[in-house]
Amino acid sequence: MATVSLKNIGKVYEGNVRAVDNANIEIEDREFVVFVGPSGCGKSTTLRMIAGLEDITEGDLYIDDKRVNDIPPKDRDIAMVFQNYALYPHMTVYDNMAFGLKIRKFDKEDIKKRVDQAAKILDIEELLDRKPKALSGGQRQRVAVGRAIVRQPKVFLFDEPLSNLDAKLRVQMRAEISSLHNRLQATMVYVTHDQVEAMTMADKIVVLKDGLIQQIGSPLELYNDPANRFVAGFIGSPPMNFMTVDVTEEKGKVYIDEGDFKLEIPKEQGDILKDYVGKQVVFGMRPEDLDYHEEEMKDQTIKCNVGVIEPLGAEIHVYVNTAKHQAIARVGPNVKLQVGDTIYLLPHFEKAVFFDLETELAIGREQRRQ
Amino acid sequence: MNTRIDSQKAHIKLKESLMIIMLVAPALIIFTTFVVIPVIQAGYYSFFKWKGLGPLNDFRGIENFIRAFNHPVFITALMNNLKIVFLSLFLQLPTAFLLALLIGRKGFFGSMVFRGLYFFPYVLAEIVVGIIWKFIYDPQYGIPTFFARLIKGGDIQIGLLGNLDYAFTAIFIVIFWKYIGFHMILYIAGLQGVPKELEDAAVIDGANKFQVVLYVIIPSMWSAIIISVFLSVIGSFNVFDIVWAMGQGGPVHSTETLVTYLYNFGFKRFAFGYGSAIAIIIFFLCLIFNIFYQKYVVAEK
Repeated sequence: MATVSLKNIGKVYEGNVRAVDNANIEIEDREFVVFVGPSGCGKSTTLRMIAGLEDITEGDLYIDDKRVNDIPPKDRDIAMVFQNYALYPHMTVYDNMAFGLKIRKFDKEDIKKRVDQAAKILDIEELLDRKPKALSGGQRQRVAVGRAIVRQPKVFLFDEPLSNLDAKLRVQMRAEISSLHNRLQATMVYVTHDQVEAMTMADKIVVLKDGLIQQIGSPLELYNDPANRFVAGFIGSPPMNFMTVDVTEEKGKVYIDEGDFKLEIPKEQGDILKDYVGKQVVFGMRPEDLDYHEEEMKDQTIKCNVGVIEPLGAEIHVYVNTAKHQAIARVGPNVKLQVGDTIYLLPHFEKAVFFDLETELAIGREQRRQ
Repeated sequence: MNTRIDSQKAHIKLKESLMIIMLVAPALIIFTTFVVIPVIQAGYYSFFKWKGLGPLNDFRGIENFIRAFNHPVFITALMNNLKIVFLSLFLQLPTAFLLALLIGRKGFFGSMVFRGLYFFPYVLAEIVVGIIWKFIYDPQYGIPTFFARLIKGGDIQIGLLGNLDYAFTAIFIVIFWKYIGFHMILYIAGLQGVPKELEDAAVIDGANKFQVVLYVIIPSMWSAIIISVFLSVIGSFNVFDIVWAMGQGGPVHSTETLVTYLYNFGFKRFAFGYGSAIAIIIFFLCLIFNIFYQKYVVAEK
């Protein structure tokens, strides 16, 4: 059993630099939680506060209902995997993994048993006598994970562990860490700036920006129901398209008007936008929710020019330009397109998200959920 | 075709070799002229009794060496050098390391000021340091005398440099003070090469501060320590200026080092054959240490 609970946690550095502000996060037992956000958003700082490597300036941190603000890292029963692996260069792989156990005065046989077991899980049995510099990046990463699992801690903390690996290895290690999570049934907190890692690994994602939590939710919740424009743009690749549009009303029907095109909004979404008639909103649309059409459909399609074509094999990413905006659409692999073509895109309005221009919050989230 | 490529390769190799020879030659010539030849010359002179003038014809075999090892002052000098080595390794370097730990990390307010203060003595010329400390130790108006008068009152004079029991300690304090900053800077450079993440990892692994230093920091900056120990030992064998400035090896030869001994009993007495023998002994002491150190310490790394 290990839960982690952050209550109004804040971090202020010397010189009044605020890194984290009023963070409230509940991490359940055996949950895989990912903190994601751009660099400088406070995600690593939050993780390091959980680890005990940074002092907590405000709020309370609980591990298993015990307040641990003033408890040193070694007594928090946590293990951490660092971005640059942080393997002790002068020790063999075996000694690296055994170090924490030796310090904690485990007896020799127990240490050997645990290290061998961890080495077996991670498939690094052959490397135990080597020094870190004789290992590849992926192998080092495994050793770093091994060092964390031998202790069988309550909570695992990962600080951007895959960011130094090449793309292919990253995908592989991603899957391995996920399966490790299933196998160990431990609570894990994982920090990354890569939203793909967050989406693929997390039970729960915490999106941070400028030290503030933007949204907490499952990957699909964040994808389908972003709380604000930042989350909508950060989660998903290629990112959501945003267009600033005027909301108008004619004969009881709600339209959005970009200037170059005008779209009629179906009633359900239209009701949400009623309050914004006469104002501007940001219209958000994911690339896969734009269908390709050769012909114009009045008040239903977006007219645009093809700017860049990226054929990926299974699909094509088309970068298009309207009069005022740029957008990306994902279309099928068989669509024949050329740069400069005029095409028409039909949005799936039930998937569209509108954002307040000022606050950038998603409009009508409560209504949509019902 | 193949032979043509081979000949091209040979040509490139030749060019490279020529380049290397050209670049190495000046240093090699200077080194030979000013180091290798004088050492060989000294080695040759050391077998003669020679005043430095006149013909070199009084061959004495290894008599000069036997004489040195039978001379109590030479033994005192050698022991003093060994004491300096020992005290430097077990007192000066650990202190320098502690200082580096204290002020080596960025962010500590005033750490730059302290670094400057500790490093400052190293910048001074040895002779200058010797003269400064001669004033500090002065029996009439020096600092020990001042404090003694302050505490006990009366007209006391504390003459450390003239006292057989304290002269060596007084001189070692100066050596300690002069070079500690240099070793501290070496360690600070080494410390800065130890990633913070390593310390964090050790802390998470459960190590306390002492264990972090012992198991993580020291092994990670072993190269800096190796260099510092090497320079300290070689430097200890060559101590001269400070000792000379503060008492020329006195009182009664009690603070002689090998080099002051060489100067006192070789140069001053025009015994160049004997002096050369002493120089050769110093040379071999350093050489033996160097070979041993390279083989068992540096190579291990």
